[in-house]
Amino acid sequence: MRAISVFAVFALLPLAAEDRTAEAVDAFHRGRYADAREMLEKVVQAAPGDGVAQTFLALSRAATGGCDTAAGELGRQFAANQDASLRRLAGIALVECHLARNRLADAWPVLDALQKEFPGDADVLYETAKLHMRAWNEAVFQMYQKTPASFRVNQLSGEIFEIQGRYAEAAAEYRKAIEKNPAGLNLHYRLGRALLLESHDTAKLREARNEFEAELALNPSDAVAEYQVGQILLAEQNAAGAMARFERSVSLSPDFAEALVALARLKTEAKQYPEAIGLLERAVKLQPASESAHYSLMLVYRNAGRMEEAQREKTVLDQLKRPPEGEFTEFLKRLGEKTPKP
Amino acid sequence: MRLLASLALLAWLPGAGGPVEFRNVAASAGLTRAFPNGGDRTKQFIVETTGSGAAWIDYDNDGLLDALLVSGAGGLTRLYHNEGKGRFRDVTEEVGLAVASGWGQGACAADYDNDGFTDLFVTYWGQNHLYRNIGGRRFEDVTARAGLRQSRVRYNTGCAFLDYDRDGHADLFVANYLKFDPQTTPKPGENPYCWYRGIPVNCGPRGLPFDRNILYHNNGDGTFTDVSEASGIAAPDQNYALSVLTGDFNNDGLEDIYVACDQTPSLLYINRGNGKFTEEALLRGVAFDENGKAMSGMGLAAADYDGDGWLDIFRSNFSDERETLYRNRGRGEFDDATVAAGLARNTRYVGWGCGFFDMDNDGWQDLLLVNGHVFPEVDRLGIDIHFRDRAILYRNLGNGKFADISESAGPGLEERHAARGAAFGDYDNDGQVEVLINNQNEPPSLLKQAAGAGSHWILLRLTGTRSNRSALGAKVRVTAGGRTQSDEVRSGGSYLSQSDLRLHFGLGAARRVERVEIDWPSGARQVLRDLPADRVTAIEEPRGTL
Repeated sequence: MRAISVFAVFALLPLAAEDRTAEAVDAFHRGRYADAREMLEKVVQAAPGDGVAQTFLALSRAATGGCDTAAGELGRQFAANQDASLRRLAGIALVECHLARNRLADAWPVLDALQKEFPGDADVLYETAKLHMRAWNEAVFQMYQKTPASFRVNQLSGEIFEIQGRYAEAAAEYRKAIEKNPAGLNLHYRLGRALLLESHDTAKLREARNEFEAELALNPSDAVAEYQVGQILLAEQNAAGAMARFERSVSLSPDFAEALVALARLKTEAKQYPEAIGLLERAVKLQPASESAHYSLMLVYRNAGRMEEAQREKTVLDQLKRPPEGEFTEFLKRLGEKTPKP
Repeated sequence: MRLLASLALLAWLPGAGGPVEFRNVAASAGLTRAFPNGGDRTKQFIVETTGSGAAWIDYDNDGLLDALLVSGAGGLTRLYHNEGKGRFRDVTEEVGLAVASGWGQGACAADYDNDGFTDLFVTYWGQNHLYRNIGGRRFEDVTARAGLRQSRVRYNTGCAFLDYDRDGHADLFVANYLKFDPQTTPKPGENPYCWYRGIPVNCGPRGLPFDRNILYHNNGDGTFTDVSEASGIAAPDQNYALSVLTGDFNNDGLEDIYVACDQTPSLLYINRGNGKFTEEALLRGVAFDENGKAMSGMGLAAADYDGDGWLDIFRSNFSDERETLYRNRGRGEFDDATVAAGLARNTRYVGWGCGFFDMDNDGWQDLLLVNGHVFPEVDRLGIDIHFRDRAILYRNLGNGKFADISESAGPGLEERHAARGAAFGDYDNDGQVEVLINNQNEPPSLLKQAAGAGSHWILLRLTGTRSNRSALGAKVRVTAGGRTQSDEVRSGGSYLSQSDLRLHFGLGAARRVERVEIDWPSGARQVLRDLPADRVTAIEEPRGTL
């Protein structure tokens, strides 16, 4: 319950609120949960109709390990309290209680409701992330405990290493997974990608390409593996070979925007501007927020002498490049706005 | 005769240069002092990561390039006189340069007062310094008198002199990185921008406030006026600017300014000729990489690497990013040619100083860049990204492509340093360009080729008369052996560094230069014919009307 933030609840209290309720709420906000609970127990006993006292009593009970007694009241307050701020507090506390009692399934609907009512709320998002993490941990624990020899354990280990930037270790895990399940789909692809993330030297490019080709041998319709081979050929200065691979990738998956962009770039280099423009116009329709597609389209319009359209794409790009607004960004901006001393 | 002719032809074949062997001769040259620049195992603040530059200037006009190395806090920026025979002597105190300490960043040089001696400008986090060269004997700090004292602490980085209004006086551009105050800047790990691959590191540039770039107009009387606002230079104020590169990128006879920016779009200020610049990097194709993403731009170099008469641009970037080669497709519009040119594979280095130079005098501009990570802490990760790293050398194959020959180009290339500035110049006038590199907390490197120049060359030393005396912005086309190469005289460039103001051209088998054509900033065009190769040739701008 420590995660519950301090809220400006005083402003929400009715002006005629009992002093003792106010004192207890104040204690709660100062983190003196046990004191608050003791005071609120008395207030609620004396005045059972004090909604604020009831809500904060439930919150105090939850904060002092009394989820069993608090959960019911928190649920009622979350469902019915007229005050949105108190409803929000009750909902968050209820989620915490469910997590504390390992009742993940009960926590999901509460979080869903919180997200609908308070979209973009940092505390709600934090609870959501926490719940996902808990669920993920549970699943991983089960997998490692019950199927330690499964190729999935190696695959997942590889994916975790990848996230941590430990690409060599990730590649080693993918290799183990392939050894256990040579026909497993997506394993060669993941290995190829880890190798590329590790290095772009000649040997690694060759190794990675072999893995993508192996993936294609298992699944000839894998447009993404085709695309990766195309990228490697491009890095190896084989533009013609790359173009063929990108074309195949697009034919396998006509809505694969990255492949459309890659193919269009090669067409642009070859001064085949109308073809490139066609591909890129498709790509921006598929992915209107793709900076890469809009940038490539802007340049090919420019190269084709269609400056008005190039300017239009530039305007779109300028919009896309604006930093996202949000609490996190604002926080960082505030950090940056400290005035340096002369 | 058939055999001789074949050999001559071979020397001109693109990329047919012989073996290259660079050695670090700094110690034997007397460049043994280490230049401090923040922590070696950990860095608390970003200011420890960006320094410092190097410069080649012939301050006493003896025909030999002298070496300047800029220092971070705890040391002095030092000038070494070229004594000849490959030896340098520290003359810092003797010439009056032992006056400023602090976080030195970059250096650029030009004869701003047209008195015949090259002056020096050194940038700082803190206060910049303009040193006027008094007769080649000493330097005088004229910062305040010249109107260049700044009213607050600024994080000045790259600089370049240029005569943007062609009035015959060298103006000054100074890039500014960001607003930095150690009292208010978060410490390593304190916010999400203070982490790298799971380890806490110094914060920034993201999360730290932007600053803006500065253009000073040279009033012609020894003073400068800040014209940043009026000229349009101040308008872009959301960029972390580092290196500065000047050049006439659209061939309209006016010097433009390109600025490498860290984690933000790089800037191309197009000179409109009326004292104003417009920033056009995005539409001209030099703001981002080919994916439309802003890179962490560090160093810059320009050359007509493909011989089409248009200046191309190279930019070094951060690790996990490609270097960027922008090919000028004409009119100052660029295509990202990084992949097509074969430069896309070295993604494990943080690149800094860089330069095009014809290492084997085959008439094609090769490319060197020096590297080193910003986070010493990266060494704890045990990955193939290192705080100290080797340089990368690309041979220009003459067909629009480059070959990475770093691992076969001698021991000098294999040394690992936290390198920053790199200045290119022929300090012994032997026709081969040497590279002076400022390494953080270590002595500098001086890369010199072990073997002599196999092919022919010419070094052109231009002096303006009606134009600014350093000839900044003069465009030179050299025709020899049936090929024409072009270049411009420029101040600044690389990473916060100053290379030789003279222009070096490799001539392959040609023993004479058929034609040298110069477009002076004053508008004068000068043509010289039938010049001998293998020497330094001084050319003065004609004083009268041509």
